[in-house]
Amino acid sequence: MNAGTWARAKALFEQAMELPASERRAWLDRAGADADIAALVQTLIESTDTLDGFLESPPLVQPEDIAADDGWLRPGARIGDYSIVRKIAEGGMGVVYLARETSLGGRDVALKALPPATSADPVLRARLKLEAEAMGKINHPAVATVYAFKEIDGQIFIASEYVDGRSLRELIKEGPLPQERAVELALEIADALNEAHAAGVVHRDLKPDNVLLTKRGGVKVVDFGIARVISHGGPDLTVPGYAIGTPAYMAPEQFLGGPVDARADLYSLGVVLTEMLTGRRRSEDGVPSLPARIAPIVRRCLQHDPAARFASAATFREALLTQRKGESRDRWWWRFHQAATIVAYALLLMPAWLVRRAVSGPTIGGLAGRWLFVVVLAAGIVAITLRLHLLFVSRAGARAVEQQRRLSASSLRAADLAFAAGLVVSGLFVENLQAPLAVLLIGAGAAAGVSALVIEPATLRAAFDEETTVEGSTSR
Amino acid sequence: MSDRPEFHLLPIVYDELRRIAARYIGGERPGQTLQATALVNEAFLQMSAEKTRQFQNRAHFVAIAALSMRQILVQRARARNAAKRRPGGERVPFDENVLSVPHPNGRANDIDLEALDDALSRLAEFDPEQARIVELRYFGGLTIEETAEAVGVSPATIKRQWVMARAWLKLQMESA
Repeated sequence: MNAGTWARAKALFEQAMELPASERRAWLDRAGADADIAALVQTLIESTDTLDGFLESPPLVQPEDIAADDGWLRPGARIGDYSIVRKIAEGGMGVVYLARETSLGGRDVALKALPPATSADPVLRARLKLEAEAMGKINHPAVATVYAFKEIDGQIFIASEYVDGRSLRELIKEGPLPQERAVELALEIADALNEAHAAGVVHRDLKPDNVLLTKRGGVKVVDFGIARVISHGGPDLTVPGYAIGTPAYMAPEQFLGGPVDARADLYSLGVVLTEMLTGRRRSEDGVPSLPARIAPIVRRCLQHDPAARFASAATFREALLTQRKGESRDRWWWRFHQAATIVAYALLLMPAWLVRRAVSGPTIGGLAGRWLFVVVLAAGIVAITLRLHLLFVSRAGARAVEQQRRLSASSLRAADLAFAAGLVVSGLFVENLQAPLAVLLIGAGAAAGVSALVIEPATLRAAFDEETTVEGSTSR
Repeated sequence: MSDRPEFHLLPIVYDELRRIAARYIGGERPGQTLQATALVNEAFLQMSAEKTRQFQNRAHFVAIAALSMRQILVQRARARNAAKRRPGGERVPFDENVLSVPHPNGRANDIDLEALDDALSRLAEFDPEQARIVELRYFGGLTIEETAEAVGVSPATIKRQWVMARAWLKLQMESA
């Protein structure tokens, strides 16, 4: 077969396959191709009928093709003081086993080693040693404690605190976190980073996979595998051809291989916070929308220029704490307003009741006042009940309020306006005798209207801010 | 990934190889993770032996990973076939592994990788693009769309080429 023959056969084959199966043969005969090419195409067409999934399923690896000793530590294996329980994580930079320390009453440790394929690589060995050193410098409850760095039978290991819990990645997979929880976690991570930075260590690979959640609800930042010890002045083991980190979480300067400091971690933390709140990262298509109060903080983390970000994890924490404080103050105001409205509505039913007989309206025989009171009473009860409901669900967080408010917004507004209008009308038609009450009713009705139309939307917006979009300073 | 030539992300390479290998092994039977890992290690070693190699993008990387995987699997298959052919060599009276291993998707997988590799090499002589498509689809596990992106043609073209290449390869393997 030569390329020219094949190319002609290919052209015929493709045209023939466009036709219904029954017409292909006749078409091929009419096409006037060389006999051998036509025959080839005919055979190929027939062959397509018998493909039946041929090459559609992946090649199967034969068990005998796999070397028995692949270098991994099996459960039960003994390495010095440690007895391997199982492998818990694996990646290009290392493998982590759960092991039991036999000499010290059998405490669990996380044993990190290099993957067998790279266990002799001097660069990776140096990096693992550096990781142990970096972790050893940090003393913080949110950073796993290093117990030992050992070389056993030519293999090197870091033994550190074993964290029994799942990763933030797994939590995010279940959906976006409630804002309160996301902020709480971001504060804890920032605190751990702050401690690391103070010790001269930049993590450089912060991502949800590297944040573990302990069973007690705390946070442990792990995998300082590519951390850089700044004060070291020593080698930054980023060898050309081995650029490291995880692109989606990487600060631009790190991505481009430039000098990296604490602010690179804050960039990553900004991406992580976005992902906690929305379930998505900013680099994916579209820009996720964030709560308006948090958006500027995230935006500042995600600045292209490190100088435009927060100067340290501590200032990031302060910004987030201030935000949280402001939010709880605004929520207090909203709650106060709701409660005050409920009380005022209830009290106003009294004068409305008192004037019902004094109202002389253009209706039949004194009925106007009574009907007006029924309207005010019904509207008042609806408005009070809905407000009590909103107050109650507000304990479950912003999202619950938003949802319930959307459901009840139109009924609540209708009830408020009916209540206000009822009061004003009652006031207008009260006979002169009751002048002070009439003024009270008109004034209260007007106030209720203004409150429902102007004040309440404002307190609500401040307390449960609407979503906003983070415009990244730059996109890559 | 960046278009900077030195971009070569170690963990990503490893994860990508794991994804490809996991596909070969399939299922969740005990021991299979170990098999995938062993395969990944070997491919990883093979790929990182050439440190000068630089990946332009993910498609380029997957193409090279697929080639590595193909080489490893075929080399294993050749060794196994040679052992069977050797008179007095390893006696495999009835090789149930090769004849009818139930495949994860339920189909018996009895493709002779040695014969496939020979046929694929012949195909590459007169239609390198089709051979590459088979390599990416079969050994690299790419979908039609991903293959289209890697090769730089439309998915419709890939689909047609994929059918034709398979038709030809099947004929070749049956006549071998």
